[in-house]
Amino acid sequence: MRKEYTVTYKSENIYDNWVHDAYWQFLIIPLENKTQKLKEFDFSNSLHCINQFSINGFGFNTIKIHPQNKFKHICFEATFKVLKSKKNLPEQTSFAQVESSWKEIGSLEFKIDFEQYLKVTSLTKIPKEKQGLFQFGSNRGIFENLKDLNHWTHSHIAYRSGVTDTTSTLETILKQRTGVCQDFAHLFCAICRQNNIPCRYVAGYLNHESGYLGDSQMHAWVEAYVPSYGWLGLDPTNDVLANMDHIKVCHGKDYNDCSPLKGIVHSLGNHTTTHSVVVKNHQRQIQQ
Amino acid sequence: MSNIENQIFSSYQRNPDLFDEIYDSNGNIKDVYQKLFDIYGGHSIQDYINLNSKAKASFFNQGITFQVYGEDNVQEKIFPFDLFPRIIDQDEWDVIERGSIQRAKALNLFLWDIYHDKKILKDKVVPLELITSSANYLDQMNGLNPPGGIYNHISGTDIIKHKDGQYYVLEDNIRCPSGVSYVICNRTALKRALFGVFNHYQTYTVTDYAENLLEQLESVKPKGVDIPNCVVITPGMYNSAFYEHSYLAKTMGVELVEGRDLFVENDFVYMKTIKGPEKVDVIYRRIDDAFLDPLEFRPDSALGVPGLFAAYKKGNVTLANAPGTGVADDKAVYTYMPEIIKYYLKEEPILNNVHTYHCSRPDELNYVLENISELVVKPVDEAGGYGISIGNRLTPKEIEEVRKQVKENPRKYVAQPIMSLSVHPTYIDDTESFEQRHVDLRTFTILGKDKEFVLKGGLTRVALKKGNLIVNSSQGGGSKDTWVLKK
Amino acid sequence: MLARVANNLFWMGRYIERSEHIARYMNVNYFSSLDAPNHISQDRQFVLRSMLFMVGEPVKDSHIILNEENVLFKIGVDTNFVTSILNNVRYARENANSARDLISTELYESINKFYHFVLNYPKEVFVKSGLHDFTTNVTEMSAILRGKIRGTLLHDSVYAIIMMGVNIERATQITRMINSKYNDAILAQGSYEDAFTKSFEWTTLLKCAESYDMMRRYYKKTPTSISTLEFLILNPNCPRSVMNSLNQFYEHVKILNPERRYNKESTAFLIGRVRAEYEYKYIEEIEQDIKSFIENILSSLDKISNKVDEEFFSY
Repeated sequence: MRKEYTVTYKSENIYDNWVHDAYWQFLIIPLENKTQKLKEFDFSNSLHCINQFSINGFGFNTIKIHPQNKFKHICFEATFKVLKSKKNLPEQTSFAQVESSWKEIGSLEFKIDFEQYLKVTSLTKIPKEKQGLFQFGSNRGIFENLKDLNHWTHSHIAYRSGVTDTTSTLETILKQRTGVCQDFAHLFCAICRQNNIPCRYVAGYLNHESGYLGDSQMHAWVEAYVPSYGWLGLDPTNDVLANMDHIKVCHGKDYNDCSPLKGIVHSLGNHTTTHSVVVKNHQRQIQQ
Repeated sequence: MSNIENQIFSSYQRNPDLFDEIYDSNGNIKDVYQKLFDIYGGHSIQDYINLNSKAKASFFNQGITFQVYGEDNVQEKIFPFDLFPRIIDQDEWDVIERGSIQRAKALNLFLWDIYHDKKILKDKVVPLELITSSANYLDQMNGLNPPGGIYNHISGTDIIKHKDGQYYVLEDNIRCPSGVSYVICNRTALKRALFGVFNHYQTYTVTDYAENLLEQLESVKPKGVDIPNCVVITPGMYNSAFYEHSYLAKTMGVELVEGRDLFVENDFVYMKTIKGPEKVDVIYRRIDDAFLDPLEFRPDSALGVPGLFAAYKKGNVTLANAPGTGVADDKAVYTYMPEIIKYYLKEEPILNNVHTYHCSRPDELNYVLENISELVVKPVDEAGGYGISIGNRLTPKEIEEVRKQVKENPRKYVAQPIMSLSVHPTYIDDTESFEQRHVDLRTFTILGKDKEFVLKGGLTRVALKKGNLIVNSSQGGGSKDTWVLKK
Repeated sequence: MLARVANNLFWMGRYIERSEHIARYMNVNYFSSLDAPNHISQDRQFVLRSMLFMVGEPVKDSHIILNEENVLFKIGVDTNFVTSILNNVRYARENANSARDLISTELYESINKFYHFVLNYPKEVFVKSGLHDFTTNVTEMSAILRGKIRGTLLHDSVYAIIMMGVNIERATQITRMINSKYNDAILAQGSYEDAFTKSFEWTTLLKCAESYDMMRRYYKKTPTSISTLEFLILNPNCPRSVMNSLNQFYEHVKILNPERRYNKESTAFLIGRVRAEYEYKYIEEIEQDIKSFIENILSSLDKISNKVDEEFFSY
């Protein structure tokens, strides 16, 4: 089964005063992997600056824009055609696998290899008084535990936009128990890592047509490592496993590694920035 | 000449408990110092005061100063400089030189390993926590191959002589070690003031640093570049080490740039010149990792260059030192240096390490908590001598305070036996006489592709406050010219 | 050379030159007024107002009685007044600091000494009795700097940029002095039979520009308005004249941009145009409307400076 999507990303920036120097980096190009193909791709801006393709520090494709002339207004628009195919999910963990996978996770070698996705960052730090919110059961498989955590996170936090931003810490989120996709993802990552399961924050696009939660921005979910399977995508905002409706762009330790737009803009006064993302499944599902 | 009444040393008081660099174990002036002692002793104290103030004026007029921000004014100060040089003979120097190179090489291999296969962690030689808990470990450096395989192109090794007469390393500085310009300025000032003494000693020059540095920077040029364009990047003229940055740029004959002079286009770095953009290939950077590139590191950095890291990752520009070297000059890593040297080089360490207690280990923590009065307790991640507690100088109340801090955050602290830094006669303005002051030595080691160099001399830093052991310039330290004698 | 650093060198040249002219203007005006032939020119208030006019802070209200020490303090050593001599020297040094790796140790050391001299000059002494000593030292130290610029720098683009700054500033300051003295000559003409054209102020002006002796040698007559303006503006052989400064500027800009083809966007082209305009000027034309002539020159100099900025410093 495959699905074909058209993703449109738009961003508009308006400045009160002339901007003489600016530099932007967009981390918005869908990743290419076994289950995700980028068929077409177009990126343009209202100032007709050249697209500079560049690989960032974590190995993801970015586009950099460096205008040559002063401006007060710039729009960006990207269109991607992506072909998604189904990813096989892990099967129920057998009794023998339960023990071996916990053993693997406990080994030093494993901890060294996955060190990056086991460490606590400022956005995935659980405050002292909130330790032990969710415990993994070592008598069950990691896959089963992860699904439980996905469900738990989904029910622990209520989806509400506008109450948090990209710098909100878990302290705030756990206190108010409301937030948006990146808050769900940060909490999931934090608990996973506390239980020694490598977990990474994922940024991408979500097909809202299935009635999922999320706003007209980029979406965030997670990938946790399941021994003898690999990285498994989970979307705690919607309590589902990430699959055909999740178009991945990049992953990292937390939001800071995955921020879709970074800009260094030298300008005085105020500015306004708006983003929008539209994901369209413009073809019926193709049966293979 | 030795029978001339030695005016300026007549009041010199020797504390027998301290290791005085100019005396041998029998209490006689060492042979290498005798001539110097006689020449200086031949001056009247007034002569010496005049020479000293001239040397100071020369530093001041050359603008070799740093700024002190007061309540409503900015004062310019010179780095205190002492006219009585420190002498290191060739045999001792050989040990220091080989030891400095050994450490720099071991650290370089360590950095390569922890940013690639992490074998040293898997072989349990150093604990994984060393890396996971270090704020200076850069995930972006994982798997990246720096040009020429060099991370710490420039290392500054802080070495002391203990009362047992042995050299010990206190610290390896492999981020942006500073101070080398003072080595050269001190020599210049001493030559101007007392040129006569050089007739009696054959010392190695220190002015060859810049050419060696440039040669090294050129040796690690990016692939495909024929004659590399090297630059020095500085945070700007208000940085306390700006003099050094401009000095190095000038003596290497390369441009001194600030972040705003550079830009990145299609992963190549250019500088903005009066004739338009000019490609840059090698950057000797004197700004910290966090400020290098606002797109990858601190987004509020105005000192860096957006896109610089991507250009580096692509191999289009070399950064010296490489980003992420800070993980290896953590004080916690220091304590594993003997193991690190043995692991990578299969050699015994040439220079001693001070024994270190890790407060992160429960048994060692207990020892530390019970013996604070006999230990130096240091935070693992502070530079510049801040946050250090020296046990035998603390009141019981202060000891209790330190104990509480360590208990609360054991991972943040290490402790070492109190090392007794050697002392050296140093002219003290207030008393207008020579007194014993503690000294250390910072050596400067350059690693290039198939090349290593240690500046023959280094910076002898002096703790000018009586009895003080902390020599950092930010804590009221001064410096001395350091002579390495030819055989 | 980095564009930013070139900008620093240019302004270093300008600030050195500016501090010198302000210092000399203070010195000459103050001391020649002491025994000036008419009582207006001798008047303290008149002299203080002239100094303030010259540094761009004219006091229009004639009822205000100025305090001499305050005025001297402000123009000489006030850290809060942007165009004080102290601030000019400070800016010169700051610009030198940024370009420290490009200029000679000797030049830097002299600028640094100059700055510390000005900074540490006792301010009470300056306002009471130090005016002559202070301003003479400032002019002499800037002469030393000029010597170091010429003698210790390679005559390449670094040198050329500094000299462009020096010369554009010289032309500007000479024009500002002319403007102030023109203003003074108009104010002073009420008294006696001393007409505008033969005002004592023209002699003072020439002395302010260190050109009195040269002028006497050239004309062998008492300076008049016409001969003074002709000499200070149009005479290409007077090293302080606007014409000479423009010629020097042109020579140095050619080092930076040696291309010879027709390019009407270049600094060299613009300066050529301005030069041509003054080279073929009748002094009688100038005399008819001195005021707008001065304004014209200042605006031309401004345009040149902006052009340099555009061509060499902005990236």
